[in-house]
Amino acid sequence: MIGRIWQLSRYYIRSLTLSLLGLVFIIGTFLFWAIFFPPGQGTPDAENYILIIAAFGAAMTFLVTLSIAARANRAENMPLVARLPSRVEYLTAVFTASLLFSLLLQFVVAALALIRGPEMALGKLLEAPPIWISLDLLVTIMALHASDLVASGWSRVVIYGTLAILLIGQSFIGRINDWLLSLMSNLSAFFYAQQFDSIAELIGHVTSWLSGTGESFFRSVLSIVFWPFQAIGQAIITGYFTPMEALAPSVLILYAAILYLIAADLFASKDLEMIE
Amino acid sequence: MITLEHVTKKYYTLTALDNVSLTIPKGEVLGLLGPNGAGKTTLMKLVAGVISPTKGKITCQDEPWPLIGYKPERLLYPNNLKVGQYLDLVAGVSDVPASERERVITENLARVNMLDAANMRIAHISKGMRQRLGLAQALMGDPPLLLLDEPSNGLDPEGQVEIGRYIRELNDLGKTIVLSSHHLHEVTQVCTYLVILNKGQIHYENSMSVALGLRPFIRIHVNRQLKEAADFLRSLHPDISIEGDTVFLKNNAMRLRRQILTLLLNMDFDILRVEQKRVTLSEIYAETVQ
Repeated sequence: MIGRIWQLSRYYIRSLTLSLLGLVFIIGTFLFWAIFFPPGQGTPDAENYILIIAAFGAAMTFLVTLSIAARANRAENMPLVARLPSRVEYLTAVFTASLLFSLLLQFVVAALALIRGPEMALGKLLEAPPIWISLDLLVTIMALHASDLVASGWSRVVIYGTLAILLIGQSFIGRINDWLLSLMSNLSAFFYAQQFDSIAELIGHVTSWLSGTGESFFRSVLSIVFWPFQAIGQAIITGYFTPMEALAPSVLILYAAILYLIAADLFASKDLEMIE
Repeated sequence: MITLEHVTKKYYTLTALDNVSLTIPKGEVLGLLGPNGAGKTTLMKLVAGVISPTKGKITCQDEPWPLIGYKPERLLYPNNLKVGQYLDLVAGVSDVPASERERVITENLARVNMLDAANMRIAHISKGMRQRLGLAQALMGDPPLLLLDEPSNGLDPEGQVEIGRYIRELNDLGKTIVLSSHHLHEVTQVCTYLVILNKGQIHYENSMSVALGLRPFIRIHVNRQLKEAADFLRSLHPDISIEGDTVFLKNNAMRLRRQILTLLLNMDFDILRVEQKRVTLSEIYAETVQ
């Protein structure tokens, strides 16, 4: 199984590297380095070094994964898929190729940026790869869900829609809470008027909870999903990881694993309508 | 080997296959015939596992699921690769050990007469070579089951004969082959089992030898039109028919051949030719599809 996956991964890495798009990615990597870490400009500090390269890696991983997934979704690969005992092997090969190619570019930038870059202790330097890799893993899976190779039916809309709701919900949580509060108050008044006192009292309890700790509760429920990102950002800025923050990369990998299982299930059961 | 049980495949509102039950017999060359849109390619894709049935199930009696060599109808390959590189990729995916790949690739290229093309870019090879490359990649890893979707489509007559010869050779090696084709002559020459699909359903299924051995008939050609004798001859047996200057004797009427010949001679007809024929695949196909 590993041999088959590795063979396919090598093929996709080679295919992308020797294509025009691959060349664009490689040139883009060097341009990024020249713009963000010009050797003549002096040294960036360690925090910027880790954050900027993490952002570059995430963006590059997303684009590379979309490119490789599009290549893997060509009809010329149908005989290859038919040979594999499990379609998940094919998905794993696409995933591995995307991750390796983008990690390679990310580490090229990381290595080049150290030329007259920040003077970093080895311990500090070793903090960066787990952050980068965990983030790249998650982004690879998210990109696979965005690709035609994996997406099936409304899956893309459901996954990205949920993400959008969680993101937007955080900004509008105050307004939503106010709206709920006014709705509950009106309902409570209505039930009092209709002399359903017990129901009105129950709604009154909900109203008082909403006006008290409700907003912070909703805010923490929504933000728990994004906690690893906040924790990593916080740790990089403060310069050290608390024991809790040190778990954040593992939580990102857990998210990636869950999303990978969903992707594998979607890919294994869908009709492969590959592009001719 | 592989059994389809009540398989239905729908694409939105279009039913490509409708309640199809079929067993692909081990060691046979199963010929899939049918007009365009009959469901041949859908059936191939289902067996290859590229698509899943909407209803029904596909099972394999031999565990585990066999390695499948699949040659799709469309001749699409990674054009930037060389022929040898592509076969190396397919060999890697088919678990051919690295130490044996070169030998296996050379053998398969030789089998399809493409040994000289190993270093050619796929983008530069002809349609005939693409068809043969499709066969070569399908053979990689020595799969027991080959799915060949129109392997001789677009080839010149010489190429068609060559492909037919490869398929017979493969069958002699014990491979089970599912072959979809529009070339009735090719199917007659190559296949040992016949399935005719039409509008998503199996309309005919039989072993080729039985199918072609069925319904023999005798054709007697005489020297002039049989107008005046036609009614009399037809009245002798319901399986006697007349067309112009020819008498057809089918089924039990064939036993009357001596009597009919004597009668025709007595009626002053000259017998030009007497033939014992069997039904052809094109006749079976035409009857089935109509």
